[in-house]
Amino acid sequence: MNAHLQRALRSPALAFVGLALVWELCVHAFAPSPRYLPALSAIAQDAWSVWPQLARGFGRTLLETVLGFAMGAVFGCLCGTVFTYSRWMERSVFPLFVVSQTVPVVAFGALIVIWFGNSLLAKVMTAFFLTFFPVTVNTLRGLKSCDPQRIALMRSFGANRFVMFFKLAVPSALPQIMVGLRVAIGLSLIGSVVGEWFGETVGLGVMLMEAMNADLVVRLWVVMFACGLMGALLYGLLTFVERRLVWWRSES
Amino acid sequence: MVAQRKLKASMKQRLTASPAVPVLLSIVVLLAVWEGAILLFKIPPFVLPSLGAIVQHAFTDTARLMAALLATLGEALGGYALGSVLGLLLAVALLLAPPLERIVMPLAVAVNAVPTVAYAPLFLIWFGLGAASKIALVALAVGFTMLVNALHGLKQADLAAVNLMRSFGAGPMKIVWRLRLPVAMPSVVTALRIGVPRSMIVAIVGEMLGAYAGLGRMIYESTQQVDLLSVWSAVLVASVASMVFYGLLIWIDQKLVWWR
Repeated sequence: MNAHLQRALRSPALAFVGLALVWELCVHAFAPSPRYLPALSAIAQDAWSVWPQLARGFGRTLLETVLGFAMGAVFGCLCGTVFTYSRWMERSVFPLFVVSQTVPVVAFGALIVIWFGNSLLAKVMTAFFLTFFPVTVNTLRGLKSCDPQRIALMRSFGANRFVMFFKLAVPSALPQIMVGLRVAIGLSLIGSVVGEWFGETVGLGVMLMEAMNADLVVRLWVVMFACGLMGALLYGLLTFVERRLVWWRSES
Repeated sequence: MVAQRKLKASMKQRLTASPAVPVLLSIVVLLAVWEGAILLFKIPPFVLPSLGAIVQHAFTDTARLMAALLATLGEALGGYALGSVLGLLLAVALLLAPPLERIVMPLAVAVNAVPTVAYAPLFLIWFGLGAASKIALVALAVGFTMLVNALHGLKQADLAAVNLMRSFGAGPMKIVWRLRLPVAMPSVVTALRIGVPRSMIVAIVGEMLGAYAGLGRMIYESTQQVDLLSVWSAVLVASVASMVFYGLLIWIDQKLVWWR
């Protein structure tokens, strides 16, 4: 019992419950202006009152985020692989990738709408643009860090390039690739939220803008919590898949 | 003008110093494709203006662009410095007080699960439309990366070395200063490097939502007025600025972290 209690005291859940309590108590005790800190109960109430819109926005943003992430992940893995096996491509194209990341993609919001139409695709592209780079870098790093002794061993047993790639290089790179994917999923969410600022009607990003323009501070908190929930959910899902799929782990 | 010329010169130097032939080639190919596509497919300027037009516009509008750049750079740098220092200090504090780490880290992770841009409206309400809100926003974005990386790095120190120092009577602060921080340097530098483009982007996003000055403001206003050449030249200036910032950091990294 005592050990259980001790473990419970150390669990992160307690930190959250504690913070929620402190938050609610502080708001009731000091009564700050809701502009600065609304009560948690008020936030929950507001979330309940806009429930259908919130659910629809959540679904829409989730779809954009996942699609953008999937495209970025596939593209990033492909590019990372190409860069690993073609030194020339790495030296010529990879620097352009680095440069591409210094471009503030949000500034292109309006242009992306012109290019891809005011559609789902435009938001997916913003998410994609933010996602592919970390995946590329980590794929490249992972594939390159393959142990040369193992390569030599497999070669001495007569393995061809395909076998070596799928049986050795990919498994040893996967932990590193997963690190890249975890970074990418958060960026993908940012991309889709920002993408929605330009002429979309459904989504968490839209609700955020509406709340800001209408000066609804409590609604802002609702949307922030929804975004946080989605970010945590996607991150958790990815970590779960990683534990199941990549049970071998490199030193990092 | 002078600053721009200097900027170009330093970039040229960096490019020729490295094995730059393939990079230059791919840049040339990219530019050729850009201009060629415009000529070939007769792409209207509102979809994709020619590079020449963008650069020309940037030069005719230098005063406005430079003023905006200075405002954005100030916010990005201020937030970057503030966030890095706070993140590092917090990492050291959490290292010295493990019970605190168990409480603070889950909260920090939760705070970070919310995309930075979602905080922007709230920060504008809290800190006003001036520079303070963008500095706070950038500091938050940079600070978390620094906290995670620095904490990871600080824990990498060899336990035997820690014990050795302790047996010679070194206090916890001394161990941090003399042993753990140098060991953590590569991780810290990684965080600093990740933070550079992020700080610029976050500052610009913050400005787009509400500001009195800056590149983000300019981009937002120009978008509203469908003055797309101004948007492109502002994007160009922002990209060049963060590239220079990034290059500077790599250079500092190579000079500073010699013990890697």
